[in-house]
Amino acid sequence: MTLRLLPYFLKQALVSMKNHRVVYLIGLGTMVVSLLIPISFSVAFTNLNAWIQEWGRGLSFSVYLAEEVNESKTHAIASHIRALPGAEITEFISKERAWTELKRTLGSQAGLLEGLPENPLPASFEVLFKDSPAEEANPQKIKRMLENIEGVEEVQYSEEWVNRFEGILSLLGVVGLVAVGLLSMAVLFIVANTTKLAIYARREEIEILKLVGATDWFVKTPFLLEGLIQGVLSGLVALLVLYSGYLFLSARKVQFLGMPVMDFVFMPKEHVLSILALSVILGLLGSLIALSRFFDV
Amino acid sequence: MIQLFHVYKNYGPNVALNDITMRVDEGEFVFVTGPSGAGKTTLLRLIFGVERPASGHIVIHGINLIRSSRHKLDLLRRKIGFVFQDFKLLASKTVLENVAVALDVTGQPQRLVRKKTHQALRSVGLADKEKAYPLELSGGEQQRVAIARAIVKEPLLLLGDEPTGNLDPDLTKEIMMLFRSIHMKGTTVVIATHSRELLEDTVQRKIVLSRGRIIEER
Repeated sequence: MTLRLLPYFLKQALVSMKNHRVVYLIGLGTMVVSLLIPISFSVAFTNLNAWIQEWGRGLSFSVYLAEEVNESKTHAIASHIRALPGAEITEFISKERAWTELKRTLGSQAGLLEGLPENPLPASFEVLFKDSPAEEANPQKIKRMLENIEGVEEVQYSEEWVNRFEGILSLLGVVGLVAVGLLSMAVLFIVANTTKLAIYARREEIEILKLVGATDWFVKTPFLLEGLIQGVLSGLVALLVLYSGYLFLSARKVQFLGMPVMDFVFMPKEHVLSILALSVILGLLGSLIALSRFFDV
Repeated sequence: MIQLFHVYKNYGPNVALNDITMRVDEGEFVFVTGPSGAGKTTLLRLIFGVERPASGHIVIHGINLIRSSRHKLDLLRRKIGFVFQDFKLLASKTVLENVAVALDVTGQPQRLVRKKTHQALRSVGLADKEKAYPLELSGGEQQRVAIARAIVKEPLLLLGDEPTGNLDPDLTKEIMMLFRSIHMKGTTVVIATHSRELLEDTVQRKIVLSRGRIIEER
């Protein structure tokens, strides 16, 4: 088969798609929806990953002070903390403020605190370690450094939280892969059936082509091109729909679990290309499956 | 040249062809005749390679159809023109496209395809109907489109299965004139017909079939 015939095959494929546009549009719509699900997973996965990494980079610690620490001692501790590499005190929460905030959080149940003889809450510093060198960014090491400062009673950081999110992320990855597998099969089924309908609609033409000496590949190629076009179009439309959604969300600052979320990111280029490649492969494979039933490939 | 050696063909329990041995020389014009159900269409379909015999051998221009691959049969079919009783034209395509399809499958450049298609349509007197659709034409015109499609590829062999079966006597004469002029250019022609009128005053060889057997050759 020569490349010279490509314009002929392309014309045949496009004319057929135009003549059976309703069937193709329904197939295309279903394929777009099927592809949108795994693509959405990919975007969600990319963003969650980026956010978690960002949180990991900016390690945040709560440094609780001992009961007996007075104001001058508190200043000394603050100087000590600032001297640590990459450390920045974002907030100081005095005993009184901690008490007021606890009462506000409890709201109507604040009466529970009335029986207490005195304010048991410690004063604390919120400390953020940003852009520390990799070897210094070890949360356990930083925790130990903070605990060694005289007057510091306890240090807490968001390790557990980050770890939990990383667990959720791995689970999402597995669910995403399963979804891609199942939905790929659905897409294959859709393309195979659309091609089958196209073959039925053109069976008379196929018979005549065979009678005038067309080879099997001459008959099959336009159908394969239809599958390929359907695959490319559905991949492009699905990506476009998702990109519009991404632009819409990016324009708004979304909050996630009460925390302001960093900027949204779209999929990396490699993911976009993989999705397009997957759509093309599924389109071609679906057509081949349908054709194999008619031509004993 | 067409050669058949002890060819049998059956459809389930029904025997369509029974021990057929025959030969048609290059450039010959032959009629295959006999009543309906005698096996004429089956014989032509076997020669055309769209069906395979139960046993026996069929050799067309030195190619044994029984031993040939599907691909080789596809290529052989490009050298054989077939005119069907029901025309087998595509209603959704123009006259020009219906005829051009026989060349499109060979992969020739479109410029050449157009040129040869115009010539074929001119030779059957339909040059002015190129853009018409088959359903806008009379039965005789549709049959001429089918003939144009069969001859556009300049076949070595032209097969006609009751090519005048649906036509009135005047149109029948016209179509037969066409077949004779194609034959005059050196193409081997085999026509299957049960029409007695068609066979009157013809000097060509006739093979008479009955119940799947050759009962007479004259």
